[in-house]
Amino acid sequence: MKLTRTRMRVGSFALLLILLTLWELAVHAAGISALVLPAPSAVAHSLWMGLSTGYLWPHILATSLELLLGLSVGCAIGFASGLAMAESKLLQGLLKPYIIVSQVIPKLALMPLFIVWFGFGMTSTVVITALICFFPLMENTVTSLQQVDPQRLELFRMLGATRRQTLLRLKLPAGLPGILAGLRVAVVLALVGAVVGEFIGASKGLGALIIASQGMMDTPLMFAVLVVIAVLGLALYQVTLSFEKWLLKPYTQTP
Amino acid sequence: MRRRAVPKANSTAVRSTEGSPVSFLAIDNVSFTYPLWPPVVRAVDWDIAEGEFHCLVGRSGCGKTTLLKLAAGLLHPDTGSIRLQGTELRAPGPQLGFVFQSPTLLEWHRVIDNVLLPVSLQHPPTPLEIGKAEQLLTLLGLSAHARHYPRQLSGGQQSRVALARALILEPALLLLDEPFAALDAITRGELQDDLLQMCSLRRTTVMFVTHDIAEAVYLGDRVAVMDRGRIVRDITIGVGKPRTPAMRYGAAFNSHCAQLREAMDMASA
Repeated sequence: MKLTRTRMRVGSFALLLILLTLWELAVHAAGISALVLPAPSAVAHSLWMGLSTGYLWPHILATSLELLLGLSVGCAIGFASGLAMAESKLLQGLLKPYIIVSQVIPKLALMPLFIVWFGFGMTSTVVITALICFFPLMENTVTSLQQVDPQRLELFRMLGATRRQTLLRLKLPAGLPGILAGLRVAVVLALVGAVVGEFIGASKGLGALIIASQGMMDTPLMFAVLVVIAVLGLALYQVTLSFEKWLLKPYTQTP
Repeated sequence: MRRRAVPKANSTAVRSTEGSPVSFLAIDNVSFTYPLWPPVVRAVDWDIAEGEFHCLVGRSGCGKTTLLKLAAGLLHPDTGSIRLQGTELRAPGPQLGFVFQSPTLLEWHRVIDNVLLPVSLQHPPTPLEIGKAEQLLTLLGLSAHARHYPRQLSGGQQSRVALARALILEPALLLLDEPFAALDAITRGELQDDLLQMCSLRRTTVMFVTHDIAEAVYLGDRVAVMDRGRIVRDITIGVGKPRTPAMRYGAAFNSHCAQLREAMDMASA
């Protein structure tokens, strides 16, 4: 049997159904308390209630907003500083140690400080999300721009291209696939940043809701929120993939 | 890095452009050393007259690519001078066409835009220039591929696109660095014929670097043999022009190949 894409998808979905059924049966058979491991049906019920009563929506909205704000700010700064460091050896030499230090410190360890600086709530979470997204984009931008084929650089010199033209017409297009790979990593990390940031620094958002559901001993709700986070992450990843595919069209399409 | 040579005395003031045939490209006592390495090019003298096709042969690492880059203005000689049409060459420019070892096409541009790259870096291409690019592609048998991307082309076709790109500004001097080394024998033969045809049409002056003896004899009016940074032999090729593929099996052609081979063996002995 040939492994087509559709077959893989169907198989993948079937596996999910089997696992959920086994889970459901196991929970009922073993009589596990919903506090420890709720059955999928209980999670689905909790999820449906949360969505239909509108209880979940403000939290989803808050997390999405933090995610998008943090992602845009972090990626913009990451790209800009990557560009600056790739173009200037001086800047790279000066800034690199600081950037590495800022990245080896666990971001979460900074959250209490951010709460002191920016207050309890959205700003702190956005800052931490941005800080997390910044690094992969900067690293990939620097590496991609510096790995341009030397013969192509000589070609541009040969043709009398200015530094600006070499950047815009050679280095950036040549580095685009690498930069977009960094964006993909940043998107995944951004969701982690937003949710974990909310654990500590927010009263609204999906991360805060997980902590709240733990306090309320509402484990089905906790699972429901995890499902929402997973869906949000998948959706965002798919959007990024489509964006990447669209940008890289000239690199891949066969007219 | 950019050391400029100070001309010894003023013996070689600008040569007269009238009277005796002035060399188109004049390489005069040029030496070049990469920092921390032994000299790569040592005291090379070489002149190319207008419209001539010269080949530079030698083993890998003998300095031929470096000499070509010096002639292109991509590198600057430590000593000596390089003059193009009587004026000292300071930087690369549109009067020079350069073809690299690999096609170095921009994979995100269509073939026609790759050919037009030297133009579009100066100004948006005019319909006239686009027409010229299409004409070049037609001459090279690529008219059907103008709207394709480089990855959809074979290696030989990509080399042709690189050639068209080097010719779009109608450079007076064309410099080629083993452009066909990666191609199969038949494709290489076709491209050699195309190159000769394009250059004789425009009376382009050419410096062609290769390590292939038969290629050098087939293409060149004159062949310079390079060894360890020096030009050690200067061989004039007396095979009729225009060259035809049948000549490759003629006695004159083969005796020149033998002569060139012997010169290379003697050089490296």
